[in-house]
Amino acid sequence: MPDVIKTADSERLRDGLLMSKGALRMQSVGALAGRSILIAIASSSLIAILFIFYFIIRDALPFFQIEGIREFLTSTRWYPSREEAEFGALAIFFGSALVTLGAVVVAVPMGVLAALCLSDILPFSIRQVVKPVIEMLAAIPSVVYGFFALVVFAPLMQERGGSMLAAGAWIIFAPLAVLATAVLSDLLSSRLDGKARLVSQIVSVALVGGLFLAGLLRMHGFLVGLTIVSGTNALNVSIILGIMALPTIVSVSEDALNAVGRDLREGSYALGATRAETLLRVVVPAARSGIMAAVILGVMRAIGETMVVWMASGNAARIPGPWFNFLEPIRTLTATIAGDMGEADHVTGSARYHVLFVMALCLLMFAFISNLASEIILRRARKRGSV
Amino acid sequence: MFKFKSTIATTIGLMLILSFAWSGAFAESYRIIIDGSTTVGPIAKAFAEYYMAKHPDVSVTVSESGSGNGAKSLINGVCDIADMSRFMKNKEFAAAVEKGIMPVAHVVAMDGIAIIVHPSNPIKSLTVQQVRDIYMGKIKNWKELGGPNVEIVMISRDTNSGTYETFEKLVMSKKKIHEKSEYVGSNGAIRQRVQSTKAAMGYVGLGFVDRSVKALEIDGVMPEASTIVSGVYPIARPLFMFTNGYPKLGSHIFSFITLYLTPKGQEIVEEIGFIPVTRY
Amino acid sequence: MLDGSFSTVGVIAIVLMFISLVILLGPIFARGFGAFVFKGTVEYRKLMLDKFGRGDRERIIAEVAGAAKTREPVYELMEQFRVELKEKDYDYRSRYGQPFKELEELVEDLFGPAPGSSMPVLVRGQYGQTRWDRANVKLGNILFIEEYDYSDSSKMGELVLVPRADLFAGTSLEPLFRLLESDIEKMMRPRTTVYWRFLFDGSYDSHFFGGIWPELLGTFYLAIGAMLFAVPLGVITAIYLAEYAGDSRFVSLLRTCISSLAGVPSIVFGLFGLAFFINAIHVSPSKSVLAGSFTLALLVLPTVIRASEEAIKAVPRSYKEGAMSLGAGKWRTVVTVILPAALPGILTSIIISLGRAAGETAPIIFTAAVSVGKPLALWETMSQPTPALPWNIYNLATEHEAVDEIRHVQYGMVVTLIVLVLLLNITAIVLRARISKKLRG
Repeated sequence: MPDVIKTADSERLRDGLLMSKGALRMQSVGALAGRSILIAIASSSLIAILFIFYFIIRDALPFFQIEGIREFLTSTRWYPSREEAEFGALAIFFGSALVTLGAVVVAVPMGVLAALCLSDILPFSIRQVVKPVIEMLAAIPSVVYGFFALVVFAPLMQERGGSMLAAGAWIIFAPLAVLATAVLSDLLSSRLDGKARLVSQIVSVALVGGLFLAGLLRMHGFLVGLTIVSGTNALNVSIILGIMALPTIVSVSEDALNAVGRDLREGSYALGATRAETLLRVVVPAARSGIMAAVILGVMRAIGETMVVWMASGNAARIPGPWFNFLEPIRTLTATIAGDMGEADHVTGSARYHVLFVMALCLLMFAFISNLASEIILRRARKRGSV
Repeated sequence: MFKFKSTIATTIGLMLILSFAWSGAFAESYRIIIDGSTTVGPIAKAFAEYYMAKHPDVSVTVSESGSGNGAKSLINGVCDIADMSRFMKNKEFAAAVEKGIMPVAHVVAMDGIAIIVHPSNPIKSLTVQQVRDIYMGKIKNWKELGGPNVEIVMISRDTNSGTYETFEKLVMSKKKIHEKSEYVGSNGAIRQRVQSTKAAMGYVGLGFVDRSVKALEIDGVMPEASTIVSGVYPIARPLFMFTNGYPKLGSHIFSFITLYLTPKGQEIVEEIGFIPVTRY
Repeated sequence: MLDGSFSTVGVIAIVLMFISLVILLGPIFARGFGAFVFKGTVEYRKLMLDKFGRGDRERIIAEVAGAAKTREPVYELMEQFRVELKEKDYDYRSRYGQPFKELEELVEDLFGPAPGSSMPVLVRGQYGQTRWDRANVKLGNILFIEEYDYSDSSKMGELVLVPRADLFAGTSLEPLFRLLESDIEKMMRPRTTVYWRFLFDGSYDSHFFGGIWPELLGTFYLAIGAMLFAVPLGVITAIYLAEYAGDSRFVSLLRTCISSLAGVPSIVFGLFGLAFFINAIHVSPSKSVLAGSFTLALLVLPTVIRASEEAIKAVPRSYKEGAMSLGAGKWRTVVTVILPAALPGILTSIIISLGRAAGETAPIIFTAAVSVGKPLALWETMSQPTPALPWNIYNLATEHEAVDEIRHVQYGMVVTLIVLVLLLNITAIVLRARISKKLRG
């Protein structure tokens, strides 16, 4: 009786039901070993996450011992290199938040609309063309976006900032205004019938549309008159980050919209609803949580991006005045880490080195929490969908 | 399907083979690792290329990651030469000695920090006091200096640079730079921001001043080789390379680090726009 | 009405997406093309002959001599003026001395060192302008002085171009400018040049001349190295998740970890790579390709896992059941039946991740990238850092001492990186289309 039985033999033996006790034991031990190796390898991402947390926290903790946390969270004075260093990161947190907000404003309406369009409006053949475009947008490396923002976009903004902004505003807001007008007039007159309905529709379109038009014209006048002193500012970065977050938002919310299912849509049509009504009242509410998750993922993409903000945000650690002034330079967490790591002396274990790890920890926590949130939302939605 | 797979496999294989073949052409070589300041970077890079051309068996790598990083790398013993645009700090010295490293400074060149503006800016000269006031946020508009009514966009080097620290020491005299100042990662980036922004003002090493920006007279003195050498120009500093101990005579590091003393080395320093020390 | 406007807005959103892709890629491709195909001057051919030994030696030497002959009048005029300057009085000298010196420098910029003068040490000084577009810029600098009109004190000055000839009006130097303007083509001999070796040449004089091979090779090493670590881990994890894992708590924890890993900002990976691979376990004393590859591998791991798992799950159940019913064990089924069937899908995921790893910058800043270095041999990747395309794009666009002179190199690098990444992605897209076709029958 050979002690070691090769795999091929064991197969044959089992086929012939001729397995000795030893062979059986061998096999079960082998299977157990194989399985545990498999699990060990599969846990690599678990281990990776644990290690990342451990090593970031390990290097972040000394900062709290050296400097404490109060100044870090409440002061806006960021002077890490002076003898009496100050580590007020409030403005940097604010900068990250501001560009992320900007990116959301750029990406979410466009992304969700595009997703709706892809899932419900466009024919299949066009969808096949659009999908690769989205994937290409997602595939372009961030340093390329940064290069574009710094070398092409920033000078362009400085030279013809006002008119460019105005044109952008028209492109984005005019269709939205038309859509909002349509939706509002529809809502206002939905209770009425016959002639009254038509009249109310016309009146409401005129009213709401006129209001929007007036608003747009005023905005146009304001924007054209604007001169942009510095092209590397929060707006530049927001737009680029928005475009970078688009693919995520589109693909995740499209998945959510597709998951709503044909029967719900068909039910709605059967009740006499138009396509727009079906979309607005049935499909979007049903896919709400999926879209929410998409937005969260988009936010994560924007807040974690480094190269674009490092190259094109201006890196001024200051809360713009007034706070929503997107035309001023800002500084973000990621850019601070990338830029300051060069000086931070690892050897002496200075506060300046550890503060960057505190920032990384904040980013990490944020990413972790929003990721959990989006998972929980999606999981709940899936459960509800299946019940 | 099969055809497709094999095509991809062949492509990847070819790429690998290509890189093998290509890299095989270079035999294993003596290495000099340089890390540190972006200001000294151009000198180090030019020296590196010159040296590699003369000694094909030597491979020199240059990282430009900031003076502080250079010091760190030297202290950790992971680079042979640290480029620094400021002198090593006491703390860094202490850390080095603790690790058994003995930093030795070599002054490879002199550099003036030029205050630059866009060429369309009518301002020709400022005093150190005025520059300080601008960076402190006291002077906010070019109007206050006799220029047009445009808000000043001040641009500063990132806090991790020796240029920043020198500027802070020589110009700001311990006053804080106003938080509105933009920070960029390198001398080149400052010049680029200034040449594309009419209202901007920045400071760069003399080697980075070119036709596209205008250097200002400071206290009535133009930043030029002659004024920096004679010490008239107020914002000047030496540029350093640090080694661990004095390099052994005849070693590659020795001949590299003493390049700046040779006529060729001085010519290189001059061509890049810095001032050779021997003139000093 | 509502229906119509709804569709329109949706279509506009998609069109906007197209437009942003075009706006982004248009200028980059248009200018990046110029790194490969451009009008090269005689200086370019001289450089290629001297530094790389390329081209027909006899012809280039003849061409250089020909060009030098057409340049002779220029140098003669300047020599004449130099003599004149010496002979005239102090006023004359102080009036023309400085402008003439500037002119000399500009001419040297355009044509390279004057015959008889000493050879500069740096390569950038040894040759004139190698590219016709740059030569024209330099010629413009000679012909016109950029002055600013500050008369309107309420605004920044306006750019005024003053012909330099006016400055030297009445002197013996005056004809020089007309001569330069009319004969510049004969002096520089521009010819359309295809420089495909841009990809495979090393750089000369910090990217003033030559190509981007060290960066390209470094990118290959980093990306392929990352895949070497990420693919085995990722695919095995995917097999576990798809075939072995049930719905236990551990598995859902694992899934959460994978998606968390996917959400970690890339700069945090960079810091972790520095703190762990370099400072803690010392895979190399300082930055190295190995450390960078490890870091990038962690970054792409979730992508590999997810896409491979999907590919494995997409294998029809009947395959598996068939194999099992023939008596194959589970592992055997996985290895001999499921994996081969899922291979194209897994390959797709690998290709996409390869593109991602090649383009990432933030993780390699602290772990692998340097701005100048030789192309590495394979065994050197274990301990040495390398230049890499993404990092050097950043470096050249912001830190280089002559950002404007080497714009074409920056654009060339950007285009190379984009083409690399997009090619990988298009391959993946095509591959996936074929798979779905096959699965549909």
